[in-house]
Amino acid sequence: MHLAELSLTHVRTFARLEWELTPGVHVIVGANGSGKSNLLEAITLLATTRSARARSDGELVSWSALGDVAPLARAAGRVLTRSGERVSVEVAITARPAAGGGALGGEPAAAGRRFRVNGVARRASDLIGRLRVVPFSADDLAIISGAPVERRRYLDVTIAQLDAPYVRALQRYTRVLQQRNSLLRRLQERRAALHELDFWDEELARNGGALLHARAATVAALASEAAAQYAALAPDDGALACCYRPGVPSELASRLLGGASEEAIADELGAVVGAERARDVQAGVTHAGPHRDDVAIAIGGHAAATTASRGQQRTAALALRLAEVAHSLRRTGDAPVLLLDDVLSELDAARRERVLAAAFAVDQVIITTPDADRPPRAELPGARWYTLAGGVLQRAD
Amino acid sequence: MANARDPGSRDAAGPPGAGSPIQRLVEAFHRLPGIGPKSAQRLAYHVLRAPEAEARALAEALLEVKERVVFCSRCQDITDQDPCRICLDPARDRTVLCVVEEPLDLRALERAGGFRGLFHVLHGAISPADGIGPEELKIAELLARLRDVDRDVAEVIVATNPNLEGEATALYLARLLSPLGMRVTRLARGLPAGADLEYADDVTLARALIYRQSVE
Ligand SMILES: [Zn+2]
Repeated sequence: MHLAELSLTHVRTFARLEWELTPGVHVIVGANGSGKSNLLEAITLLATTRSARARSDGELVSWSALGDVAPLARAAGRVLTRSGERVSVEVAITARPAAGGGALGGEPAAAGRRFRVNGVARRASDLIGRLRVVPFSADDLAIISGAPVERRRYLDVTIAQLDAPYVRALQRYTRVLQQRNSLLRRLQERRAALHELDFWDEELARNGGALLHARAATVAALASEAAAQYAALAPDDGALACCYRPGVPSELASRLLGGASEEAIADELGAVVGAERARDVQAGVTHAGPHRDDVAIAIGGHAAATTASRGQQRTAALALRLAEVAHSLRRTGDAPVLLLDDVLSELDAARRERVLAAAFAVDQVIITTPDADRPPRAELPGARWYTLAGGVLQRAD
Repeated sequence: MANARDPGSRDAAGPPGAGSPIQRLVEAFHRLPGIGPKSAQRLAYHVLRAPEAEARALAEALLEVKERVVFCSRCQDITDQDPCRICLDPARDRTVLCVVEEPLDLRALERAGGFRGLFHVLHGAISPADGIGPEELKIAELLARLRDVDRDVAEVIVATNPNLEGEATALYLARLLSPLGMRVTRLARGLPAGADLEYADDVTLARALIYRQSVE
């Protein structure tokens, strides 16, 4: 698939941007702070309804919009799939200036988000995955070296684009977990009855079972692909191994890794959650469930987060992203759009060649770089070059 | 911070420490649902800077809503007479009672037409994260009226919102009422999931009432 048109209004540094794109490689040259990362962020937002970089929706709204009565950031895109299907997607974020003129606040607070698919108002879960992207950035290092939450987030964004029911299960699970933990604390204070847990336990098991099952299958698929990619990127290094570590007791974990069905996993998670009620009440938190998941990543048999070098960690993150590209293509029969946010300049020639080979195998790639000479133009035959300055994108071939 | 330094209001407010008027106002706002500590501060400082007439109007509106508006002692709907007109209407079917979360949901079902039974307003749905358990809802009042006043009710339709909190409330009520020999039903799906009842269109609402289902 490829993005045929991108339209931004009041998104970060872009007061207004209209961009018509072709399939192929697009390279955007811009100084640091020119907003080139914001451009890729907006495209990711259209694919996933999330921003990896903004802490709140309000951050996405451009400051220049705050004088308006109803400030609105709007990102819209037109997608063309390999089968010739045309889909338009739109994410609009309304923000209100902090109450009281900014004495205590200042940052705009997001007031609401609206999603449209083909012009019709839809829920977020109906929009995610219409445009699929694989975003490469320096922040990917956190997938290898960061806390477990980074790996769960990576899995969620990856799976969500391929599996709409996963998005609904994730949204529901997140809310159920919050409600259940609150109820556990009320139980601690003897302000609730134990049977009030019944509904939340059942929902936790059903939705948690769906998450565990999808994550197990995805990590298994990504692991073998990532191992092959790593071996090609670092032929002299040890093997890259990614192993799913579900946040459930070991017996259920081994049933899950052994390929048990989603229904069986949900049933067993329900039994585990039921059995742990007393312990959960005592701690005021839910112990078992996919919110405690992790992925163990090792290079040559040693934990990558603690023993691998920076270079090895970067290469492992790159291998995971390349695995994601292959996985997305295999699952859907259509290639995702690659977004390379200033990642090429730090790679040596051999690794750059490997990434560019993947880039030329998909339908569309958008590359940002601070340097007009890197990557060398000779390595990108047929690419379209642009400069970005002051929120304005211009062709510079 | 320029506003807090305004000489007039500073003298009136005293130092913004614990127990000061401004601190009491912040705490009062913080107790409201959905207001975090930061929003409570913003609201309090907004009131502090606002003209006195605006603050007075707010205070009066707060008192008036407590003094003038009453809840029907049977159905808990907002009313100006107790019992309300629906509860007193001899033409209503007293064998079927529809439970809703909010007065607005009752209005929506009345507007849709097709239902001639009684209502009961819970004033919320079970949501532990918002500090709302069964005790915080008008469930004890529902049990009392079914026992003492509306003894002919044979069916209770649970018309809570089709979201997690509404579903949790429906299950709780079903477990409470089924042992009393009452048929407990739920509005049929077809309502947009995740949306609030008050925004549903009339046709959808009317159809959802016709195809209501038993709660397992
Ligand atoms: Zn009444």
